[in-house]
Amino acid sequence: MRIAFAGNPNSGKTTMYNALTGRSEKVGNWGGVTVGSKEFKIKDEYTGGRDVSAVDLPGAYSMSPFTPEEGITSEYVRTTNPDVIVNIVDATNLSRSLFFTTQLLELGIPVVVALNKSDINEKEGTSIDVDKLSAKLGCNVFETTSTEGKGLSDVISKAISLSGSSQKPPFVQADIDLKDKAAVDAEDRKRYVFVNEIVAAVESRRTLSSETRGTDKLDAVLTNPISGILLFAAVMWFVFWTSQTWLGPMVADLIVGWIEQFQEWTAGLLENSPPILSALLADGIVGGVGAVVGFLPLVMVMYFLIALLEDCGYMARVSAVMDPIFKRVGLSGKSLIPVVIGTGCGIPAIMACRTIRDERERRATSMLATFIPCGAKIPVIALFAGAFFSGAGWVSTLSYFFGLLLIFLGALLIKYITGYRYRKSFFIIELPKWKVPSQKFAFNSMLERAKEYIIKAATIILICNTAVQVMQSFDWHFNVVEEGAESSSILATIASPFAILLIPLGFGVWQLAAAAITGFIAKENVVGTLAVVYGLTAFIDVEELELTGGANNVAMAMGLTSVTALAYLFFNLYTPPCFAAIGAMNSEMKSRAWLWGAIGLQLGTGYSVAFLIYQFGTLFTEGHLGRAFIPGLIAVGCMAVAVIVIGRKTRAHFDDMYELHRRDGKENAAA
Amino acid sequence: MLNAATIISTILIVAAVLLATRYIYKEKKKGTKCIGCPCAGECHTMHGSSDIKMREKSF
Repeated sequence: MRIAFAGNPNSGKTTMYNALTGRSEKVGNWGGVTVGSKEFKIKDEYTGGRDVSAVDLPGAYSMSPFTPEEGITSEYVRTTNPDVIVNIVDATNLSRSLFFTTQLLELGIPVVVALNKSDINEKEGTSIDVDKLSAKLGCNVFETTSTEGKGLSDVISKAISLSGSSQKPPFVQADIDLKDKAAVDAEDRKRYVFVNEIVAAVESRRTLSSETRGTDKLDAVLTNPISGILLFAAVMWFVFWTSQTWLGPMVADLIVGWIEQFQEWTAGLLENSPPILSALLADGIVGGVGAVVGFLPLVMVMYFLIALLEDCGYMARVSAVMDPIFKRVGLSGKSLIPVVIGTGCGIPAIMACRTIRDERERRATSMLATFIPCGAKIPVIALFAGAFFSGAGWVSTLSYFFGLLLIFLGALLIKYITGYRYRKSFFIIELPKWKVPSQKFAFNSMLERAKEYIIKAATIILICNTAVQVMQSFDWHFNVVEEGAESSSILATIASPFAILLIPLGFGVWQLAAAAITGFIAKENVVGTLAVVYGLTAFIDVEELELTGGANNVAMAMGLTSVTALAYLFFNLYTPPCFAAIGAMNSEMKSRAWLWGAIGLQLGTGYSVAFLIYQFGTLFTEGHLGRAFIPGLIAVGCMAVAVIVIGRKTRAHFDDMYELHRRDGKENAAA
Repeated sequence: MLNAATIISTILIVAAVLLATRYIYKEKKKGTKCIGCPCAGECHTMHGSSDIKMREKSF
């Protein structure tokens, strides 16, 4: 048996789905988080052991699709014929929700209505007469609070009992020509009248929506183009400062101490064993993986704070304030949703681009979304911020907002290349009600992500670090590399050619090149590889930072200046993401040309940014340009020429297309 | 050189690498796009291809 969960965006479908199935799908307090259907078995405690699956569908306002995700929902309930539909209705916004409900009731499939978010209604003094609503709609209605699991058993047991029955609609759309816009509009108006009559009969409100409340005034400030952006910058600075300068490092310091002790203990045990074993186990596995795990508290604190922001409803306000800027550079207002999601991970961010209707905007967004530093890049940022900038919180904030700037510039570049002309696109986002963020939700979200982080460290990072350690310990004849002859190792000989390309960026040494390359497997690998090649584990040492103010062991071992460290950090942040994210881009873009264009754009951006930072940074701090300025300039110049050539070629292709149309027109006229 | 510590550490290294490889292989077979990514839970339960087909049909 299959139960479909359908309802308006942000009505709480995925939260209910997670509660019923035990899954932990991404949720957020704004519409458009779910972009595809998901199916999973409902827990036995709700079904009494019967095999019942829940299908979570993207939010939809009506059965006539306006956005791609509405199309998925509409198509699913029409064609897949679920046994029962559970219509999740946002009880705080009944009049808007019931339009879709009445359409679902017309399908003939039994419907159970879950009046979700009833707890908010209670607090606001809004009451709904459930029995009267049930009688008017002709279906079962239950009050639910999916965040607390309240009312879910009633909904599921009723849904199971209705399987195989039929549904009588309370409102039937007249038999009209659906291609006739006026007729459809007239019929929709009739449906709204019907819905409004029901709402008037069943709902009583203490506060009318037409009244201005304190939260409306707050929204006015937060969505103001100037104050909204300034406040957003302040909020993000606070998130990064707390996670990477204050609370995160405090916890991490403890963990790093334990890891270091464990590493020393392991090395002590292997004193009389072959050195390669000690190198592999103590330095490669314990040291390398430990270096990555040491940053876990920083990542966890950041995820916790981001989850709080998402849950309270703030991120939807940010979307609204950024919309005009995104439109101006040729992206959709909806492009902000992938950008926000990208703070956690690039892959769901790229998948979230599906909600963008226009193909060019969708591809451009998935190409650019990964410029926002994801959770995997946080250890890299924290490492460099700690080692070279005394753990300054501004490094993360700068990385985030510089990523946003690159998105805008990249969007303008894509606009130039594709010959795109300004088009007025729509971005409709419903500002969710403010709510006190659930600490339980944020805590669970943080734990879930921490679990995934540890899994990655214990699998991919472990294997990569072992491989790096082996490649560093042996030469091509599988002889152990002697001390002082490290450049003859397998790793050094593979990474050295790449290191030459990095000389104009200020970090043309094989160790840093190797770390950057392994970063394409998983960005945390940059940290793990640096730990292995430089023999470091304690990347976080709060006391040492306080004592030395940046010029610590890590900085000395790497031998970088602050300028080259920043250039290297930005190179790792803005070059292409990990292979998994590139794979996601490939599936979303469905075009080899766009995919290669994306990889080229990201490589060019990372390289150019690092080149400019190193060369001009050296000029300002030391009074002269950095090494290999001319070769670097030639490389960046070649990239610029490539962009111009591709742009001209694309636009010439467009001209050909227009020419053809014109000829058709002439032929038609002649005919 | 062939002492208990050497034997145990060799076994540990081989076991850690084998277990990690096995896990990655199993996850890839299940269709997980990115092992250990925060999205890992949602990627492989998402009916991506069918959704796209639906979308293409709808628009």
